[in-house]
This record gives sequence, C-alpha cells and structure tokens, in this order.
Amino acid sequence: MPLTKEDVIARLLARLPKAEAASVPVRDYPTVRLGAPEDLPAAARLLKGELGFEYLEMVTAVDWLGPVRQEGFVSSRNPHPFLAQAPAPPVTPVAGPGISYHPILDMLWSFGNLRENLKVFLRLAVPRDRPEVPTLTGLFPAADWQEREAFDLLGIRFTGHPNLIKILTPDFLTGHPLRKDYVHQKDPYDE
Amino acid sequence: MNSEPRPEMAAENLIVTNPALQTDTMFVNMGPQHPSTHGVLRLGLTLSGEVITKAVPDIGYLHRGTEKLMETRTYNQCVVLTDRWDYCSAMPNNLAFCLAAEKLIGAKVPPRAEALRVVMCELNRIASHLIFLGTYGIDIGAFTPFLYAFREREMILDLYEMLCGARLTYNYIRLGGVAADIDAGWIAKCREFLEFIKPRLDEYDTLLSFNPIFLVRTKAIGLISKDSAVAWGLSGPNLRGSGVNYDVRKAEPYCGYEQYDFEVPLGRTGSCWDRYFCRVQEMRQSVRIISAALAKLPSGELLAKGIAKIPKPPPGEAYAHVEASRGDLGIYLVSDGGTAPYRLHVRAPCFVNLAVLQEILVGKKVADVIAVLGSLDIVLGEVDR
Repeated sequence: MPLTKEDVIARLLARLPKAEAASVPVRDYPTVRLGAPEDLPAAARLLKGELGFEYLEMVTAVDWLGPVRQEGFVSSRNPHPFLAQAPAPPVTPVAGPGISYHPILDMLWSFGNLRENLKVFLRLAVPRDRPEVPTLTGLFPAADWQEREAFDLLGIRFTGHPNLIKILTPDFLTGHPLRKDYVHQKDPYDE
Repeated sequence: MNSEPRPEMAAENLIVTNPALQTDTMFVNMGPQHPSTHGVLRLGLTLSGEVITKAVPDIGYLHRGTEKLMETRTYNQCVVLTDRWDYCSAMPNNLAFCLAAEKLIGAKVPPRAEALRVVMCELNRIASHLIFLGTYGIDIGAFTPFLYAFREREMILDLYEMLCGARLTYNYIRLGGVAADIDAGWIAKCREFLEFIKPRLDEYDTLLSFNPIFLVRTKAIGLISKDSAVAWGLSGPNLRGSGVNYDVRKAEPYCGYEQYDFEVPLGRTGSCWDRYFCRVQEMRQSVRIISAALAKLPSGELLAKGIAKIPKPPPGEAYAHVEASRGDLGIYLVSDGGTAPYRLHVRAPCFVNLAVLQEILVGKKVADVIAVLGSLDIVLGEVDR
C-alpha cells in the first residue's frame, strides 16, 4: 500500500511525543514541528530507515526577530541613469495577521522519498542566543555543506558536525548575514 | 579498449597505507582562476604521488548575498536577482521564484503563459547543455565540439533576443505569467532551429559521445553509485546518470508538464560518461517538448488578472521546485504580509551537487580531476548565490 502524507505525519507523531503538526505548514506539504533538538536524530532515523526518505533536500532556517531595516543596508536603491530619481517603491515592514516577531530561529529540514514521490518538512524552533541543533551528517552526507551554509549565514551550531566552518562568506566577514539584526561593516570590496 | 571500471584501480589499492613506504604528500592548489573550474572555484588537493588522498572544494568567491538582498526588495524586483544565480540557464530561476510567489499570492497563470514558460525553459535547457557539451569537450581535450555547440547556442540566444531583448539574464517570466508574447515570425524561427538541431545532435554523437578516446577518458572514472547519489542529494542529470529515475517534471508536474510526452533518460553506472550522455539525450527530449508545445499553443492572456504592481502576499510559507537545467532548484519563500519576501532560501542544485566532489575525487589520479569536475556541470554563480 502506498505511503500517504497522513501516514507520514501519523508515524512521526507516534514516535515523537513532543512533536506536533505545524500550525502554519509549508503550503501543500506535510509539516511537522519537533518539540526539542533531541527529537531530530530520532525523526531522521525513522524517516530514513523505516519510511524511505533517503533524500535530504534542504536545511535552512528563518530568523523571526523582525524585518530588516531598509536604511543602512542598501545604500543606493538602483537609481536610473537617465531619468530623475523617483521615490523608491515603499517596502512596508508590517506584520500581517498571524505573524508575531520573536527572537527565535525556526529551523527547517526537507526530506524526500523519491520512490513514493513524497516530501516532508520538519520544523524546530531554537533560541537565537543559543542555536544548537544535532547534525545529520552521519545519516545524510548531503547535510554536510547545507549545514555549513546555515552555520555561516545564520549562525546555527550543528553539534557533532565534523567540519563546521564558514563556506560562503569571506574569512574577514564577522557575523551571520541572514540574521535580521546583521549590520554590514564596509570593507574594501564595497566600493 | 577497456572502458569498464577496474578493481585494481580502486581507491584503497592506489593510496599508500604502509607507513614504511609513505613519502611526503603534496598540496596542490587548483584555482580559483583556472579555465576548467567554470567560474571561480578553488580545489585544495592533497596528493600522494599522483593519487588524490583529500580534496577540499573552496567556494564563496562569487557570493553576492542575493537571499539577503531580496529581503529589502519587492517581489517584482526579486525576479531580476534570480537571473544571476545560474546565469547559463536563467529561465528556470525566474520560474522557480515566480511559482513560489504565485503559491503565496494565489495567482492562476493563464494557459498561454504556462506553455510559453515551458518553451522558454526547455530552450534554455538545450542552451545550457550545449555549453556543457562544448566546455566538457575542451576540458577533456577535444576543442572542435565547442565551436559546434556554441554555433547552435547562438541561435537560441538570438531567439531570446527577439523575445525579450536579453541574451542571458532575461527577467522574462514574471509573477502571474510572462512579459512578452511570441509572434508567427518567432515561432517560424524556433521551428527552423528545432529542425536544424535534430541532425546536429546525432552529429555530436559521432564527434564526441562515441569517440573512442573520449570514452576511455570518461567511462571508468567519477563513478557515483545509486545510493551515494541519493545520499549526497544530487539532482538533475547527475542523479539520473546514476540510474535514479527522479525528475521534478514527472514527479511534481508544474506549468502543465503532464500534458507533454517525453522520456527521462537514465544512465547505468554513474560514470562521467553517463552523466554526459544523459544531458545529450535530454536535449532530444527538450526538442520534443518544444515542438509539442508550439504545435498546440493556446491563445489568450499572458498575465494573470488581479496581481498588484507591488504585491503583498498574505503571511505564509511556500516551497516550489522546478527541474532546472542543472537539477532540482527549490525556492522556500516566507511572507510576513509585507511587500518584500521576509525570507527566501534557494536550494541550489549546483551547490548540493558540488559537495559530492570531496568523496568521488579521493583515490583518483590528479589528471582525472578536470574530467570529474566537468561532468558535474556546475555554475559557480549558483553555487555561491
């Protein structure tokens, strides 16, 4: 009998008492919110070993501190070389209904089952000041670089990762650019 | 001519493990400025004699922080930035972003726009694979196919220039549809191109694909097993070259791909040649899809109605992925109800594909590095974003 989205969620919830179905799912895909970082290896083992999700598609996170400030980040909003500069389109950082800004990093993993053609997303909220999550490199080699990317750009510490070093940003850059409170220090390459 | 894998060439037999026989290893710094790295990639290779014992790809030289830039731009401005990821095939980048944003906005794309999206993405797949074919030939030492491939690619770029004025970074696929329509003249020129390329693809097979030197050079190296390809998260021709039948166009059809009749070419052993030949065959399938799409091109609108000039999608999260020329390009998009994406993450196929290099290069001869790297077909603009 083919596996369905509902089966996957039910199996995950049965194995992990602290997990729950995410209140805001990734649209059209089953999404499960884990209760604690310790749940992650158990969930990954269940997905890979028993449910056939052998394909780690994505590792990333969202910083829910609030929108980035417009001023100070982009110096020139792409002025037109021939026309007088019109006012920039208003970018309104207003939280819509159902959105609340709070200092957490919301981790997201996406696993694929290529045979059954299913995809499942796992979520986990970690505090911004101590973002520690167990690594998945032992189960999925694909996690190696993607976790390094999340470490570099968002500052998430993957405990147990064999080689957790910067991957995309240059060595002299301090801070994690995709965090919402990141302030860019001008360097010689900016001009 | 022996092009099958040879067990005595396996990594454990080539690397000297006996400490009494161990001599100094040598560190070779390949790149970042190297004609065969297709951009700016640095490889730190540790050699024991001629055999690689450790390979460390060093990336980030082209990191422009597009994900961060998008957080301060409106959705329509973001489409321009998407072109800059995989600049050799920019149409699927546009498409992936628009599909994710349209999921959030809830836009219904008109059928003519969907068919045009398919035509343009498949043309771009041919153009991108032609670059691969030409440059891979050069990497291996065959210069001639490059000239042929770029002659054909030029015709596609001319078609794009007729269409939207740009040759590489199109900004053609927009939220809710496409930017420009095609006329009878364009269709005639496109059909002319399709007729022109069909015999050319057979010509490439005689020129390069089944050339005995090329076969010996690529057939037994860079082997990636089925399990390994899945575990490393490879996608696109790199995954299918190892015999895993996974294509987003079949698995989760978008833009009406389910209406088109095409096959997914698979490799058998996962060698460099299998990945190469998957791409050559994919070009034939793309020709099929384009012909079918042009034959039954629906008429009607180009843009969905009711999309604001500066859209404010309702809060929520969406994930959309497409089969881009180089693999499974996914966009994870979070909206907080504002005019700019709150967060955007690109699941870049080249970035994930490149990571496998640290495993498959170990135990290979240093002369094979270029052949293995070239067969992964990376574009550093997408690796670094």
